[in-house]
Amino acid sequence: MLGVRPLLWPLTLLNLCLTVLGCTSEHFQENLSINTLQDGKVATKFTFTTLLRGATPRDPRTLDSEDESQHYTVFPLALGQILREYGVTELHLTLNAGNWNYDRWGYPEEKGVGTGAELWAWMGEGPTKTVDHRWRGLRNALAGLFCASLGSLDELRTTSPPQSFTPEGTLPDWGIPHKVRHAPLPSENVCTENLTPFLKLLPCKSLSGIASLLNPHRLFDADWHGMGVHVLWRKDEGIEMKLTFQSVFDPLRPASASTQAWSIHSLFDRTISQGCPVAQKSDVVVALPTSAVYAIKPEPPLIEGGAGIYDVNTVEKPLDIKMMFADQFSFRKSKPCPELTYQRQLYPALEYHSNSTPFSVKRTLRGSSQAWGQLSVVITNQRDTTVHALYLETMPWLIQFYIHTLEARVDGVIKDGIITNITYIPSVPHSRPTTFQAMLSIPPRTTVDITMDVTKAFLRYTEHPPDAQRGWDLPPAIFTPMELGNNGSFLPQDGRIYTPTLLVDLATPDFSMPYNVIIFTCTLTAAIFGNVFNLLTRKFLLVYIDPDKTQ
Amino acid sequence: MDPPPTSTLRDPGTLFFQKDGIRRSIISSYWAAIILSLPLWWYFTSIERLTLPSSRVQQLAQQHLTLPISVCIEANTSLVNQVQSILTARIAQEPQRWRGLAVRLEAKAICDKSESETYSIISNNGPPYIRDRRLYFPLDEPNSPLQLVNTLSSLLVPYSSSSDPEHRVVQYSPHYRLAFSLLNEDAAAGGAVMNWNILGSIESHIKPILSRLSPLHNFTIESQVQFHAPLAFSPYPLEGDHSYGIKPSDLTVFVNSAEWTLSSSSSNDPVLHFILFIPSIRRRPLRILLSDDTPSASYAFLLPQWGGIVIHNPPPGYLNNDEFSPTEHHSVFSSFSTQLLALLGAPPLPHEITRSTTDRASLSDWQLDALIRRRALENAQGSQDTLQSIVKLVDQIENMPVGEDVRDDIEDALIALANMYESSSTSLRQAFAYSAQSFGLASRAFFNPGMLALLYFPAEHKYAVYTPLFASALTPIFVAALREFLAWKRARRAKNERKAS
Repeated sequence: MLGVRPLLWPLTLLNLCLTVLGCTSEHFQENLSINTLQDGKVATKFTFTTLLRGATPRDPRTLDSEDESQHYTVFPLALGQILREYGVTELHLTLNAGNWNYDRWGYPEEKGVGTGAELWAWMGEGPTKTVDHRWRGLRNALAGLFCASLGSLDELRTTSPPQSFTPEGTLPDWGIPHKVRHAPLPSENVCTENLTPFLKLLPCKSLSGIASLLNPHRLFDADWHGMGVHVLWRKDEGIEMKLTFQSVFDPLRPASASTQAWSIHSLFDRTISQGCPVAQKSDVVVALPTSAVYAIKPEPPLIEGGAGIYDVNTVEKPLDIKMMFADQFSFRKSKPCPELTYQRQLYPALEYHSNSTPFSVKRTLRGSSQAWGQLSVVITNQRDTTVHALYLETMPWLIQFYIHTLEARVDGVIKDGIITNITYIPSVPHSRPTTFQAMLSIPPRTTVDITMDVTKAFLRYTEHPPDAQRGWDLPPAIFTPMELGNNGSFLPQDGRIYTPTLLVDLATPDFSMPYNVIIFTCTLTAAIFGNVFNLLTRKFLLVYIDPDKTQ
Repeated sequence: MDPPPTSTLRDPGTLFFQKDGIRRSIISSYWAAIILSLPLWWYFTSIERLTLPSSRVQQLAQQHLTLPISVCIEANTSLVNQVQSILTARIAQEPQRWRGLAVRLEAKAICDKSESETYSIISNNGPPYIRDRRLYFPLDEPNSPLQLVNTLSSLLVPYSSSSDPEHRVVQYSPHYRLAFSLLNEDAAAGGAVMNWNILGSIESHIKPILSRLSPLHNFTIESQVQFHAPLAFSPYPLEGDHSYGIKPSDLTVFVNSAEWTLSSSSSNDPVLHFILFIPSIRRRPLRILLSDDTPSASYAFLLPQWGGIVIHNPPPGYLNNDEFSPTEHHSVFSSFSTQLLALLGAPPLPHEITRSTTDRASLSDWQLDALIRRRALENAQGSQDTLQSIVKLVDQIENMPVGEDVRDDIEDALIALANMYESSSTSLRQAFAYSAQSFGLASRAFFNPGMLALLYFPAEHKYAVYTPLFASALTPIFVAALREFLAWKRARRAKNERKAS
């Protein structure tokens, strides 16, 4: 029976869609890809894709009238309601923890890996309900849905950088302008309370199919983990919703482990015991190592493009894929260096890997003062060609840039022509963040050091967060690799590089101060006012002392 | 005591700033500054409390809405008088049930059926039936007046005071969301219903009711399917056949809101849930147990003010991909439509009455009118109660701000109430619309978030700030003024004495 069911599936769905009038067919597929990384880690990525075939986003001009009924089979109603209520054309929400190491791990399969929460959406401008109005509603609704503090992605953090966040789907041609809104929240902590609502959006929750591997105990123990919700519209297909969960595990973490061997059970502490009945495609894709001796159990039924593919619906269950390596894992050494210490030889720096990103970035905030500092971005081009990248800073107003101090140095010498096409929207204290965008051209095999002076804001008493002494998290800078087109214009390449977040220490008052202030003011008033008032109103008299009486 | 003329010191009393007048004007200028700044202080620290039209609210609260019902009987006057006297006795017996209604009977040879809101009773042999607002009733039999009064009261006031003991009927709202959910307990185990013809079933079973109820409410319909909807308790295995049962005590915890994603995140409209629950193949058939643990014949139950649930057990041998048949749809959606009517308070027809076959609407005019009358009376009462509560609350809590929006809402609610009283004698629908408007405005005023703003800022905090700041400055000013006053008094007395002597 198990073997027959998957074959019957597409037929039944087709049959149902023919009988049901006006049925927008819904298509659900799930995928798990497992890759071994060059530094011994194992990257996994869950993708759950729901396609609402033939559906279109809600036209913002119809927001005032009654919406059409929403009927879904596998698409989550809770998310559908939010998308239609606020007329959202494209939505991307990511909640990540940890820093993605581009140099070692290369590009992630899913682009949005900035630390903390990041939300960006494309919306059409409506006649009565503006984009900003709906953006506020959207982030509050998502905050409620995902139990995340997305509500604080307010005007202090929202920017609209259209070049770095180009729509990944199609924008409908309604004859109205579409606008992007983007807001990062680097201080957001991602944990189980965010995963639970995420799982509820899946048709099979975490009870069957690939999603049953989403075990919070293991996922949140990983070196890096992040979830994402992506909704976009493709003109000829319909609305696509993609839920992703990426994580980077370290099989070498236990002291006893010497090989990179992993199994589904060792990674997730679970196995796939039953298929998800609504998944039309349910694949586990394991990238097969190219340069190591390994054994994989069970043998993949299908090998395609260097990856073993297991169809969960047909494969024997419970499914527990085991990958074993013959040799002990060793880091690839960059150059044999006998003068290095023993420690350095054991854990040498990794050599640059050609699969990695074209350049590596380090961003730091220098200076010990609480009033000013210097933002420094060090970019190393690892390629033999000039690399172009769009550099975007969306800085809260706490940090204000001095653009005239912007300098690019190569080997300590100021060099022109590296920073071009600057777009700068200065911040407005207490309300708007800075948007700084520049095109960088990094010569081959060089390290460019970009510096800019900044001031740190002095906050109002009420603007400090409850844990003021901890400092403020600053959002990551975003680099988009660009390609020089034929006509001299830049075209964005696929990929986005997030730098790690920064923590800035602003001048914080002693919060027990107000009462002391009252007491001091009171004492001073009493002393000064009393004296002045007395002098003004005192009656001076001559007192004559009768010498006879005193004697 | 005169100074000795030999003194070399200058008398300070001769200095210009040591004159009494100057000193007094210094002190009085301090006082003037304090007094002049008082209104400013008052303006900046007072809470905006607009006066509410309390007297009008109290006055309206004394009034009660009365909806006239005129019935025309095609019979002679003596019969109508008989009916009238029985009806009057009945109303006196059950005043609560007939509250707010004024029935006026009228005898006519031929009733004018074009008159929109008048009910007509037409003599007819055979079993009674209704069509539109007409009742065909045998009037020639000896006990027909009593029969007629019985039938009329169950048609006109189908709600007895004890008809809704469980508070099943949801509170009135102009807009509801109807959420239909197909929940499979465990689809992975097989035998699940994967898809349903929701659009067709809504079109055939739910839409007719909604269009009939459109004068009362607007509806948004949405639906979803879930494939894993576990129960929070374990059904009880029944002896004998391999069936499982849900005890009456478990029905109250049947909805597993932690696991079933039913809540809506984007609107505040009240939601009525309709759930088709497909038990896991391992626990079929699942039945509802009566209090004596015997299985009930029904597979559906209603959660008061929340929604309705239908349990459906697919036949044995049903596969995941099998079609959910039209007959199954029909039985499920018939239950849903009954539950919907019950939740919205639509009265059932008395069992002795049948509907005319030409009358195709899902609810007869008699039922719909009774529902509208009930909602109008409820809303009028609710609106008056809410307005009274606001006035009382604002009187009681002196720190509660009352802004312009609250006052405007209350004013508008009062206007709507006045309009309702005015139109109650002419048009039921109009009166209902005003009552709904007034209730909505009164509730909005009551729940205005601006009224909570300063509620939790106690006066003690103010004094805590003021006292240390001003006590130290005010004390010398007070003392100086007092001393000066006493000195002035003493000087005057001395002057008078001097004059007298």
